[in-house]
Amino acid sequence: MPQFFLNKRLIVLLVSIIVLVALIGFSLRERSKLTWPEQFLKDTAGWVQSLVSKPAHLVAGFFENLQDLQNTYEENKELKSRMEKLVSLEAQVQELEKDNKELRDILGEEETLRDFEPLQATVIGRNPDRWHEMIIINKGKTDGIKKNMAVITAHGLIGKVKTVNQFSSTVQLLSAMDPKNRISAIVQGETNVFGLVEGYDKEKKALLIKAIPSGVEIKKGQNVITSGLGGVFPQGLQIGKVIDVKPDQYGLNQTALVKPGADFYDLENIIVITRTMTQPAAADMGEGEEEDL
Amino acid sequence: MKKFLLPLLFLFLFLLESLFVQYIPPEVFGRNYILVPHFLFAGILFLTIYSGRKYGIIYAAIFGLLFDIIWIEIIGIYFFLFPFIAYLISKIMHVLQTNIIVAFLVSLVGIALLELGVYEMNFLIHITTLEFMSFLEIRFYASLILNAAFLLIAAYPLKRYFESFAESLRDE
Repeated sequence: MPQFFLNKRLIVLLVSIIVLVALIGFSLRERSKLTWPEQFLKDTAGWVQSLVSKPAHLVAGFFENLQDLQNTYEENKELKSRMEKLVSLEAQVQELEKDNKELRDILGEEETLRDFEPLQATVIGRNPDRWHEMIIINKGKTDGIKKNMAVITAHGLIGKVKTVNQFSSTVQLLSAMDPKNRISAIVQGETNVFGLVEGYDKEKKALLIKAIPSGVEIKKGQNVITSGLGGVFPQGLQIGKVIDVKPDQYGLNQTALVKPGADFYDLENIIVITRTMTQPAAADMGEGEEEDL
Repeated sequence: MKKFLLPLLFLFLFLLESLFVQYIPPEVFGRNYILVPHFLFAGILFLTIYSGRKYGIIYAAIFGLLFDIIWIEIIGIYFFLFPFIAYLISKIMHVLQTNIIVAFLVSLVGIALLELGVYEMNFLIHITTLEFMSFLEIRFYASLILNAAFLLIAAYPLKRYFESFAESLRDE
């Protein structure tokens, strides 16, 4: 038996497994912010990454331009046909906006869930191990970014801010498998259907909206937007379109598969969203451990 | 100056992985394969094989910790697996003779072990619910091929550099 304890390698292995479990436990627990050495390292790394990512963006942009040139003719044709529709739509939107404003003035209601302030940011890195699906952006606490803010591209919602450092922050994409990643959403139709976006189907590349009552009829192609009821995200951010509906395990609810409007790959410029309407105090939001956004 | 070359090389590989993932198209060969670069770890394994165990494990631990803090935000997974697999590989290399084809194959085995280890750990702490068979299908094989391709290109220069590094250590 004493030989067993003298075996240095075995002891080292056992000790390192204990340290491993302790470290994982420490970092898995709900952390409102990272410890300062982590923040410092991440900021330093962010600085180095931004040095590298700028020329990389340039080179990638050049190749993208070349590709764009290839099908300019086709695209031009299609765009022209869309132009005509756009003009009439624009007139309509202006009228409706004016109407809306007047009605709001009459009601005396100034702020809505829809109002937000955009903040531009550039992607400077992406998690290479691809289990956690995170990107790093070049704006941080000093630019006014806070935890849990919504992050979008021109095509729709892509994720939320996970951690904030002084000069950089980490964004968790919707495609990450995180049970805490819940977003209150509306499926737009004749009657709006409310649901929670929970989880992501990696094989079908679709977001899952679970717990929709089975009586409600949802069709393919319906639009899905954020509802703004979760308290942090504003209302009306595009999420995607329904591609499939299936009953859940017990047939009481149904699950809608939503194809995200935004591409989670090839991200370069993104927009972080600050909701103008105040956020309800944490105490008013119920005692749920999980945060619905 | 020469002293800084080694850390700089690994820093370059560290950043290269992130850049690679950023610009990789979502669909490769018409399928939803997930290609995972392990260029940094391939470099560490070559360092272990050609410059000795001590340097390999030190670099594995340092860059494993950096990897965890900067990309994963869960400290421990790579911090443990990088040095552990580097150690195993150095043990295997005691038995085998060191030539470039053996080093190439053994490094691939190391990368495969890393992928499996990370999958098991993530499965354990519920980061993923992907089943093992689909993990193999959409992630594991494709990633191995990618890293094999990288090693094919990088194996010879890495070998040359690490051998000269080991020699300069011996001279001191």
